[in-house]
Amino acid sequence: MTLLYFLTLFPLVPALGMLLVRGDRARDTVGLVGSGIIMAATVVVAVMFFGTGPQSFEVAPGTSHVLSIISSVIDVILCAVILYSAYKYRNALTTVLGVVQLVGSVAFATMTLPAAEAVTATPLYLDYMSVIMVLAVGIVGSLICVYALGYMKDFQAHDEHEAALCGQTAPDRRPQFLALMFLFLSAMFVIVTSDNLEWLFCGWEITTVCSFLMIGYTRTPEAIKNAFTQIILNMLGGIAFLVGLMYLHVNGMPLTISGMLELSGAGTAQSALLVMPVILLSLAALTKAAQMPFHTWLLGAMVAPTPTSALLHSSTMVKAGVFLMVKLSPLYAIYPVTGFMVTSVGAITFLLAALMAISQSNAKRVLAYSTISNLGLISACLGVGAPEAVWAAIFLILFHTVAKSLLFLCVGTAEHHIGSRNIEDMDGMFSRMPHLTRLMMLGIMGMFVAPFGMLVSKWGALVAFAQTGNVLMIMVLAFGSAATFYFWGKWLAKLSGVDPTAQNVEVNVHKTEWVALNTIAALLILCCVAFPVISSGLVSPYLAMVFGRVPYVIGKDAMYLMVVIVAFIAVVLLTSFRVSNKPHVNVYLSGVGTDNYRHFRGSMGHEVKAEKRNWYSEDALGEKRIGPAGSVVCCSIILFALLCCAWIGPERLAMSAPSVLRGKYFEGSGVVGIFIGTVAFALLAPLVGGLIDGVDRKLSARMQGRVGPRLLQPFYDVAKLLRKAPASVNTMDDTYMACALIFTVVGGGIFVSGSNTLLCAFMVTLAAIFVVLASASTQSPFAQVGADRELLQVMSYEPAVLLMSVGLYLATDSFDSIAVTGQSAPIIVYSAPIFLALLAVLTIKLRKSPFDLSYSHHAHQEIVQGVATEMSGGTLAKMTLMHWCETVLFLMWVGMFFVWDNPVSWVVALVVMVATYFVEVLIDNTFARSTWRSCFKLGWGVALVFGLLNLMPILVDVFI
Amino acid sequence: MDHKMSRSPWVIHYDGSSCNGCDIEVLASLTPLFDAERFGVVNTGNPKHADIFLVTGSVNAQNLPVVRQIYSQMLEPKCVVACGICACSGGVFRDAYNVIGGVDRAIPVDVYAPGCAIRPETVIDAIVEACGILDQKEAVMRAGGDPLTVGGAATWDGGVELGEDGFVAVTGAGDTPAGTPAAPVAAKEAE
Repeated sequence: MTLLYFLTLFPLVPALGMLLVRGDRARDTVGLVGSGIIMAATVVVAVMFFGTGPQSFEVAPGTSHVLSIISSVIDVILCAVILYSAYKYRNALTTVLGVVQLVGSVAFATMTLPAAEAVTATPLYLDYMSVIMVLAVGIVGSLICVYALGYMKDFQAHDEHEAALCGQTAPDRRPQFLALMFLFLSAMFVIVTSDNLEWLFCGWEITTVCSFLMIGYTRTPEAIKNAFTQIILNMLGGIAFLVGLMYLHVNGMPLTISGMLELSGAGTAQSALLVMPVILLSLAALTKAAQMPFHTWLLGAMVAPTPTSALLHSSTMVKAGVFLMVKLSPLYAIYPVTGFMVTSVGAITFLLAALMAISQSNAKRVLAYSTISNLGLISACLGVGAPEAVWAAIFLILFHTVAKSLLFLCVGTAEHHIGSRNIEDMDGMFSRMPHLTRLMMLGIMGMFVAPFGMLVSKWGALVAFAQTGNVLMIMVLAFGSAATFYFWGKWLAKLSGVDPTAQNVEVNVHKTEWVALNTIAALLILCCVAFPVISSGLVSPYLAMVFGRVPYVIGKDAMYLMVVIVAFIAVVLLTSFRVSNKPHVNVYLSGVGTDNYRHFRGSMGHEVKAEKRNWYSEDALGEKRIGPAGSVVCCSIILFALLCCAWIGPERLAMSAPSVLRGKYFEGSGVVGIFIGTVAFALLAPLVGGLIDGVDRKLSARMQGRVGPRLLQPFYDVAKLLRKAPASVNTMDDTYMACALIFTVVGGGIFVSGSNTLLCAFMVTLAAIFVVLASASTQSPFAQVGADRELLQVMSYEPAVLLMSVGLYLATDSFDSIAVTGQSAPIIVYSAPIFLALLAVLTIKLRKSPFDLSYSHHAHQEIVQGVATEMSGGTLAKMTLMHWCETVLFLMWVGMFFVWDNPVSWVVALVVMVATYFVEVLIDNTFARSTWRSCFKLGWGVALVFGLLNLMPILVDVFI
Repeated sequence: MDHKMSRSPWVIHYDGSSCNGCDIEVLASLTPLFDAERFGVVNTGNPKHADIFLVTGSVNAQNLPVVRQIYSQMLEPKCVVACGICACSGGVFRDAYNVIGGVDRAIPVDVYAPGCAIRPETVIDAIVEACGILDQKEAVMRAGGDPLTVGGAATWDGGVELGEDGFVAVTGAGDTPAGTPAAPVAAKEAE
């Protein structure tokens, strides 16, 4: 209890200190000591929590009353601050909203304060969710403050330099800035520990005003404009919050979260009235979480200094919104219209923001869209209101906090040292800022690659949507994930480039920045490695407490496997064990390369630099096209939900959604089974795959009326490649390629051992990422184009592959491939359309013509081989082996649709696999290479049409 | 000697300054009609993947560095086949002002395959011949030896060097019959 007060009030001390002390050194001391104490206090709170378990804290009525008065006074002061700014900058809309909020606050205070004794005796609490948030805010938030100490020195120096050029002086507003950051932390602690909604609202408004002031930090016209956008949108939310509170009070309902939850279970006429406040509070949460149509404030917030963005995006501001929704999530299942609103708005935001992120080249805007997109997914999960989905949402919150703060801080430091936040300017970063770039790559991988937390959470979300039969969400997730993959993938590829001529420019990064960056990176790895513990120690108990049952989303063994892989990737990325002594060769530039890196002799005799820019598709995916459309749709959804509440009687809205929980638990075959499977796959798949390749080439030759190579030719090729002299353009590509091969084999092992097909698909995607890295790291224009195309191909086929797993789930209620053997009929009976979609994308996956975009292996095509351009000898052999393994694995996916509990079915499956491959060879020899556009359209088209066709019955089924 | 190398000869084809007659024939030998893939031949279009370098046409000041760079980016064991008489010696263009000579003025050549134009059968025959040299080189390499002691490289005279101005320096040696007069004329033109 005392500790809780301390936690909330202590950040005010360094905040005050910042305002009082002068000089860099004194500020550093105050900041470091303050942050250190906050971090220590959060850890102590967490440790004590594990001793006592969740508890509510009693506050004496007198004290409670005084605190309520204080919070009301703070509300009024905040309104005054807003009104002052609105007056100063003559912003009419803000003035109007400010007046409305001021009147509302005062009216609410006069209503509630006399009746304060009615408020619960235990207005403060600490449960599992609060502890997660306290740790996230306390540790990540404090680290961002530490980072800001060094960052703001550079920022101020830059400002002063700019101002001096114009003959002016730059005012030093750093004390206020740093004070606001600490105040922010205090407000967040209030939000995550207050059961009393009045106090929570006070913290809520403090964060709004703090971020308003921080966004306007530079006082440029753009900053002021964006700050007002932020305050207007968030005040809308704030007013919705306030109206919700008034509604609760007027109808005699408790002004606490726990009270609302208790009341909702009563099933009385009064509890039915809860639907209105729930929807209003959710609306406030959606504005805070920057969901469409309110997302513009978060984009505008990018003008602020980077620590602001990091703080707003990762651990505090936006997380306050989703935190409130986590608390309300049990109510979404009881009041379906509210759940519908939150889920739909979240889902649409998730998908559209991910697509818009593809069109952005400004790193901070990409991060902003990614934040909006992820918060969308979190909201969508929470709106479902089932423990499975909430499980996924809480992990998304946790991992997003850590990974996103790391990324923001990395981009901030990079911007100060390479002078740009444009992703295109991050070419060769791997050599220019070696350590920072590795951390950035770790952060990016943490956001979207398989065994890292974010993707595991997405996996959980997919399982949850499948279990609750939420078809549309499955589709949105499948496409949104593919888009997410693409925009992160191309950034990662850009970063990975090794530039031997580059100068190391990270020597004068501030020590405080390194401390913050390294600690957060370590936290990210720690969270991923401790995933199983966090799940069983914090998240599951929370869900058991709130929902009364523990969800079973991802099996223990799968988690352990992922922990191992995360550790493996971290070692590959962060250590330098891969330094090889292969002789260096220059990149291939058609024989006209000069000694200067990436330069060639142009036709006019000049030296020209070969550069490769990323693909943005501004015309199709630009924010001007997608943004307004998304806003209109989301506005309509919110209005629809509000109108439902207003017109339809509340008692008719308060009925549980007809949701059927499907699903067996996912046993898999355990770590041992997967290990055996992997070994078996590693031994057999290359043999079978090579043979298939040989038959393929022989068959193609026959189709062209010639003899063709020997049957074992592919093996001869690999044997030869292994005997070539070693050489490499950099020390990285061979290691990346080895990782890709390993992950493909593990993916195959997972499948043949009868374990989770989703995990198998993720492994294949992970392998694709490493192929892209191997290829992009060479900085050869040919290889980079190949890498880009590889990413496009993955984005094209990804939805259909995820749907394949869903198709399996539909038929067997399990994601495990072994489940098919227990069925009385093959799953093709249930999932024929999805099977067709898989067949359609198989050509893309097998890199066969017409979709041999990134790589081709035709004997008489004189073309440079995309991704493989810079690979030679052993590296190329590894890639060939990987392709063989992939072929075998993909054909087994096809065969899986034809296996049931009859032993004969294995023969049927084999016949289908052979027939499928024959058709692939036929297609390969019939069609000329097509464009990436048709590849993309085909991949997404079939997934959308056949996926919906197959899944629709479930949607309808509930109502029949 | 095993035949690990010779069973998978991947080629790269470069057109020096030929009349395209030999290029057409080289590519023809890779088409289904002549079916060079019977011997495992794959046209890679990439020096880093290739084992055998097929060059057509003669060498001049413009393409000499290109031929050398492609050759240098190929990994040992590797072979060079000069396809057609121009690639072998400069052919009828031997005395032209801009022609330095055959491919061996730039890089060591292992197999000379004459013809004007070269016949596809000759191309395939030359590749098979080169395969034997690949195997020899590989055997030498595995024994810890230098692959340059095998094939054309063993007796190669080093070809010509281009001067600072990008033209053939006059050395006075008699080993660059076509190259010697080339420099002054070309230099004059450049003025």
